[in-house]
Amino acid sequence: MATVEPPVESLAGEPVAAEATAPRRRFGYELLYFALRNRKLVVGLSVVLALLVLAIVGPWLTDADPFEFGYPIGEPPSRDYWLGTTSAGQDVYAQFVYGLRSSFIVGALSAAIASLIAMTIGFVSGYRGGIIDEILGMLTNVVLVLPTLAVLIVFAAYLSVGSLVAEAVLIGVTLWPWAARAIRAQTFSLASREFVSLARLSGAGSTRIIVREIAPNMSSYLFLVFILLFGGGVLTAATLDFLGLGPAQVMSLGQMMYTAVYSSALQLGMWWWFIPPGLGITAIVGGLYITNVGLDEVFNPRLRER
Amino acid sequence: MSRYFARKIAIYLLTFFVAVTIDFAIPRLMPGDPIDGLIARFQADPTASEELHGYFTESFGLDQPLWEQYLTFWRGLLQGDLGPSIAYIGSSVSELIWAALPYTLALLVPAIVLSYIAGNRVGALAARRKSLDNTVLPAAYILSATPYMWLALVLAYVLAFKLGWFPVSGAYDFSLQPAWTWEFVRSFLSHWFLPFLTLFLVAFGGWAIGMRNLIIYELEADYANYLRSLGAPGRLVRRYAYGNAVLPQMTGLALALGAVVAGALVTEIVFGYPGIGSLILTAIQNRDYFLLQGIFLLIIVGVLIANFIVDIAYVIVDPRTRTGLQGS
Amino acid sequence: MKSSRRTRVVGAFAVIVAIAAFASLTAGGAGAGEQSPFALPRGDTLYTSGKQWGPYTNFNPLRPDYNTGLVGLLYETLFRYDPLKDKFLPWLATSGTWQGKNFVVTMRKGVSWNDGKPMTAADVKFTFETGKLAGSQYSTMWKTGLKKITTRGNVVTFHFGGVPNYQEWDSNMYSIPIVPRHVWSKYSAKEITAGNTSQRSKQVGTGPFTYGAGANSSQTLQWNRRNGWWATKAFGMKLPMRYIVDIHNTSNTASLQNFLQNKIDLSNNFFPGIEKQVGGKIGTYYTKAPFMLSANTAWLIPNTKKAPLSDKNFRRALAMSINIAQIVKAGYGNIVAKANPTGLAPQWSKWVDQAQVKKLGFKYNVAGAKSLLAANGYRDTNGDGYVENKDGSQIDLRIIVPNGWSDWMTAIGIIANSTKAAGIKLTPAFPDFNALVEERNSGKFDLVINNDKAFGSTPYVYYDYLFRLPVADQQTSVNFSRFTSAGSRPWALTTKMNKIKSTDVVRAKRVHSQIQRYILTELPAIPLWYNGMWAQWNKSYWTNFPTASSKGLQNTPSTWNGYLNMTGIDALADLKKTSK
Repeated sequence: MATVEPPVESLAGEPVAAEATAPRRRFGYELLYFALRNRKLVVGLSVVLALLVLAIVGPWLTDADPFEFGYPIGEPPSRDYWLGTTSAGQDVYAQFVYGLRSSFIVGALSAAIASLIAMTIGFVSGYRGGIIDEILGMLTNVVLVLPTLAVLIVFAAYLSVGSLVAEAVLIGVTLWPWAARAIRAQTFSLASREFVSLARLSGAGSTRIIVREIAPNMSSYLFLVFILLFGGGVLTAATLDFLGLGPAQVMSLGQMMYTAVYSSALQLGMWWWFIPPGLGITAIVGGLYITNVGLDEVFNPRLRER
Repeated sequence: MSRYFARKIAIYLLTFFVAVTIDFAIPRLMPGDPIDGLIARFQADPTASEELHGYFTESFGLDQPLWEQYLTFWRGLLQGDLGPSIAYIGSSVSELIWAALPYTLALLVPAIVLSYIAGNRVGALAARRKSLDNTVLPAAYILSATPYMWLALVLAYVLAFKLGWFPVSGAYDFSLQPAWTWEFVRSFLSHWFLPFLTLFLVAFGGWAIGMRNLIIYELEADYANYLRSLGAPGRLVRRYAYGNAVLPQMTGLALALGAVVAGALVTEIVFGYPGIGSLILTAIQNRDYFLLQGIFLLIIVGVLIANFIVDIAYVIVDPRTRTGLQGS
Repeated sequence: MKSSRRTRVVGAFAVIVAIAAFASLTAGGAGAGEQSPFALPRGDTLYTSGKQWGPYTNFNPLRPDYNTGLVGLLYETLFRYDPLKDKFLPWLATSGTWQGKNFVVTMRKGVSWNDGKPMTAADVKFTFETGKLAGSQYSTMWKTGLKKITTRGNVVTFHFGGVPNYQEWDSNMYSIPIVPRHVWSKYSAKEITAGNTSQRSKQVGTGPFTYGAGANSSQTLQWNRRNGWWATKAFGMKLPMRYIVDIHNTSNTASLQNFLQNKIDLSNNFFPGIEKQVGGKIGTYYTKAPFMLSANTAWLIPNTKKAPLSDKNFRRALAMSINIAQIVKAGYGNIVAKANPTGLAPQWSKWVDQAQVKKLGFKYNVAGAKSLLAANGYRDTNGDGYVENKDGSQIDLRIIVPNGWSDWMTAIGIIANSTKAAGIKLTPAFPDFNALVEERNSGKFDLVINNDKAFGSTPYVYYDYLFRLPVADQQTSVNFSRFTSAGSRPWALTTKMNKIKSTDVVRAKRVHSQIQRYILTELPAIPLWYNGMWAQWNKSYWTNFPTASSKGLQNTPSTWNGYLNMTGIDALADLKKTSK
């Protein structure tokens, strides 16, 4: 089973040429057993889940609106204001938890969109081969080479991103190439297996084969790809928001850092304003990456605790 | 091998053509007329505004039909003329890019190269020593998950603002002008270090992780087990493992270029480094079509060339491509 | 071994690229080799920042966005203007008087360009005549009365047909920089109106500084003090710094850090939070709120062609429900000041009919706003907390500022929050600058904030800004609110104002009062606050900056365009080195 590496920010290598996964019947209990034993998986997932819980529950714990003014200006964290206030009199805690929500939403949505595109292109490319593969390959290469952030900056600046959904779509549409390549490689090797030939003989169409035979056998791999796309989506969204190109009416962690920087929070020593958001992003994405590694080990016996 | 290269070149040429067309189209997709914004900034007299508007639109060739602008664009491209800037009237796009490019390259090239080498080495080391692995791995994951601009902010805050070990922003001291003097070089290096460090650290994390995983995979592979069962020394096995792991890492290098350029962009902004990053933002805010086109072209060509170089290196390193048996 | 060979190849490549990068840095990019590469003496150099947000490309003083210091340090104007005392100071000219329909200017003798040639009346004639070129920003005067210019000896006569626009002409006297005919006559028309005129050898001006280094650079621009400046002989004026280096802004954060680390002496950046640092080595013009002088008015501009903003009672209720004090305090930390209901700057207070303002001007009064709305048919019929139109349709007004203009983004957030209390629903949005300009110019917007017109010698500029007619499909620089509902009277009064000399005080005051009445009752735009003439200084190397409290130091401490040729040059001349 190929290792799936974090792409984008971390620059690690493309997945190695694939080996098919074991038939899915055995997954169930064996997986769970190893899953609970794997420290990385447990730690990573806990961090992500903890933040997710905070994102969901956090806003219920406060009646402050993240955009509301009127609180004391520039207060450090205290019992009344858990993460202090900004220099315009806004509640940092409220901003932080609503921002977490945005990060999760954008991450999940953009990952979903990117996965969908990657799977469509990857499966078709890998299964059909030939001229279709060449064409889709060109498409993938072109989108791959275009520097993602530069393209996103142009699009976001000009199309005035108004909502998280719009932002997620924008990001999803540029983040898929590495995943498409990876899925294609996996599909390639799976397509030459006997059970696929059998299915073809029995007269099943391509789409059916892809959906019924190939995809389920790659499910763990696809899951890992999704997790990495999730992390990539959160990071990319944070960068866009930091440049002031995200939806302005929706609070996000990147936007908090953007506002903090131009309000000279650094110079005024308001660490509670710019440390939490960046920390939050690092925690989510780091947690996701570590979860990914743990899951990889669980799925692939070769990588387990040596 | 010639087939391998021919194919690669064909892909790049096609990519170039498509990318250039997209590059031409994107800036023109926006709402808002750049000349209006330009004149608004001038706050010119209203009676003068209309004249100015026509005047600028004509001098920038924006009143020509789109297809004509496209052809002019290609013509200029092949002659090396990227057009005049709208944001910085009077300057040509190539002038502005030429002025900003060295700074970005000075950050990017050492950061990519050094992080790649260091990351690979450390990753490989971590792959064989469990004790190292337990500290390196989590650290590397956290580093690769850190957003570039946050790391830049933290480094700027701690090392520049609080401790004062490095300057806060700029490319060199305000009282100097670029020249080959020791004073200038020293100032340049001290200003260069923190943005470089930011890029290096995040990229390093990614490479280390990647290499570590690949090495582990290789060390568990059949051939490795076989060699070990034959009694081959560990070092020999590791050498082969490293050699095999290098291939996908190299592919990864080409893939990653786009990401590092993005990281450099944000880092430049945080540190006020006068490179392409700051230029892009200004171009966008001013709807400077020509400057945007020029910069994107530059990035595309740069990334394509880098890809090509990696392809060449790949051929050197992987004998199978030479015989046409395998290739990415 | 494969990997070490690869490493070597890659390493060699990296080294080559690095060397190439270095080489191009010094050869091409950043304007190398002009000036001594060694560091400038700190105690003799004044470091400024805040105005320049792009590379130093524009050396053309006849274009609006020239490099910092170009006009004032290199090029100079006929007169200068002291806004705090409302006085014109003879500069390159010794006098200017109206003789019937002609304006007669006597040029100062003994002024020479920095290349040694003497400045003559022909230079003035040449400069003003560039206004006739297509694309010049000074074309208005040729379209509104100026017929020809004649010279005799060192006297320049401007001939007008019809009653001249005195107020506009006053402005030109201290705004138009004089350029040397012997250099500029060689430029093409396009170069003069849209070029950079950046060739090093052609930087010829009458001012106290010459070009030092930094053309096209994205880091700094250096000015070198020169000998032979005419004002030293004429006024005994001498500038104490040998070099002025202006620093390009990359971000406010970076500039603030450099400022606090004593690398910048005079900063004209907008530093939110600076009020906390005032004291000790950091100084501002006032030692307490509003800390800064006022530079221009920020108006909330309603689109008077759209209901309910077309109803002046609604506009008034809107004005009454905005908590400007909170914007000033929470949005700006008190470094701006709440605006007078006429929107006219403090320095124009002698033209403001204060009694009328007291009677007719709007005040922050939420209850009052609510009853005004109710009395005019705006009620909350569906219980959502917001009032609806008279016909029952929902009111949800979009209020916009350019994306990235953070303090304004905060401000409209505060505004939307505060109008909520009176039941008016506003939705803030932050389109990109160019998109905003299009929305505004084409009349598609609801509400927008704008501060385009700066303070100068006459409030006429503001009246023109509010009332100019006719209104076209595209409004590109004035009357964004498309105000026509009071008929042609306000604009007629404004044009009348333009043709009254400022020395004709009684008549002028009467017309001012009449125009202000329209501003107060019709509210074509709602004045919010005065943006500051941002200026803070670090006294580590230089002292004796402008201050409200010391005699003789009330000057404009700004390097932004237009201020050096007010009293900015005086501010610089008064500086003293700290004993270090």
